[in-house]
Amino acid sequence: MMGAHIPYVLTALLATATQATPPVQSTAPAAAAVGSAPQMAVPPVALPTPSGRDQDDVAFNIGKQLRCPVCQGMPIAESPATMAQDMMRLVREKLAAGQSPEEINQYFINRYGEWVMLKPEARGFNWLVWLLPPLSLGLCALWALSYVGRKRPGLAATADPSPVAPQPPDPYLAAIRREVER
Amino acid sequence: MRWRSALLGALVVVPLLVVLALGFGQDPHAVPSVLQGRAAPHFALQSLAGTTIDLDTLRGKPVVINFWATWCYPCKAEHDLLQDAAMHYGDKVQFLGVIYQDRETNVRQYMHGRPDHYPQLFDPGSRVAIDYGVAGVPESYLITAQGTIAYKHAGVLTPQLLHQYLDAWTAQGSQPTDAAKPLREGTAP
Repeated sequence: MMGAHIPYVLTALLATATQATPPVQSTAPAAAAVGSAPQMAVPPVALPTPSGRDQDDVAFNIGKQLRCPVCQGMPIAESPATMAQDMMRLVREKLAAGQSPEEINQYFINRYGEWVMLKPEARGFNWLVWLLPPLSLGLCALWALSYVGRKRPGLAATADPSPVAPQPPDPYLAAIRREVER
Repeated sequence: MRWRSALLGALVVVPLLVVLALGFGQDPHAVPSVLQGRAAPHFALQSLAGTTIDLDTLRGKPVVINFWATWCYPCKAEHDLLQDAAMHYGDKVQFLGVIYQDRETNVRQYMHGRPDHYPQLFDPGSRVAIDYGVAGVPESYLITAQGTIAYKHAGVLTPQLLHQYLDAWTAQGSQPTDAAKPLREGTAP
């Protein structure tokens, strides 16, 4: 019975360890509950904060969704334009200031409109962008199926080995044959 | 069967034609402005003369903000028009030039010996340009005395357009007293 709870306890402990709370406050009660850890002062440990590398990844992912306003359909994360680089710098600063990716996207949408998002959000009129391609594809498939369906009886008719009605003899060929046989 | 094919074809072709017609009817480089009717984003930038211009301190008079650069040929054509307009409207309208991705030396060199009737501001990191949703130069923003963006213009301004807005805004008070020459007609290419 107790064994069934072990995975949950382990998960809870792991979750506690990954929270951005002071380790002294989070681990001490856990240790007291287990009853095996000595009651001693634990030196403060640096809080687990997102590394610079992680923030760069998040910034890059945000930048991949934002259109460079001075380029042709390029995201700011991949554009060499100075304007795009300035925008990327702003994204990083806003991330460092604690803003969420949604807040950063909204900042740019408030300045440039939905146009700035390379992948428009699926709502309102934007649904057309998402629905039209599969709809068109479906219609094309329907048309292709109906086209093939129409062609198939014709194909079957040509493959049918039934005897063809005898054609009337060509008078020109008949004349040549008569000349040859003479 | 024939009508069904025609219907299917129409269902595919008509939306495509509508999309193409709408697309060809617009400038592919034009970025729609969502700032019209909203409060102008605040900024405080340093001018070429070394003073700091704070947009909030200009509340109470219309403001024309022009984003430009010396490497932008149409901007130079527009620059003369804006200098004339700044002289024409005097202190009834505040004109501001915001340098967009350009070097200070280039701007100083360009402005040397030219009319200088309004401050030219440096925008490090294009912060103000991004705040205003600038997508190229020249771009201009006409801001009311209450601090609302009334109009964004991408491309070279025309005298007619400036008259249309600024005359109406300044007519509420006294007429422009500056007896300087009127806006130069035909400056815009």
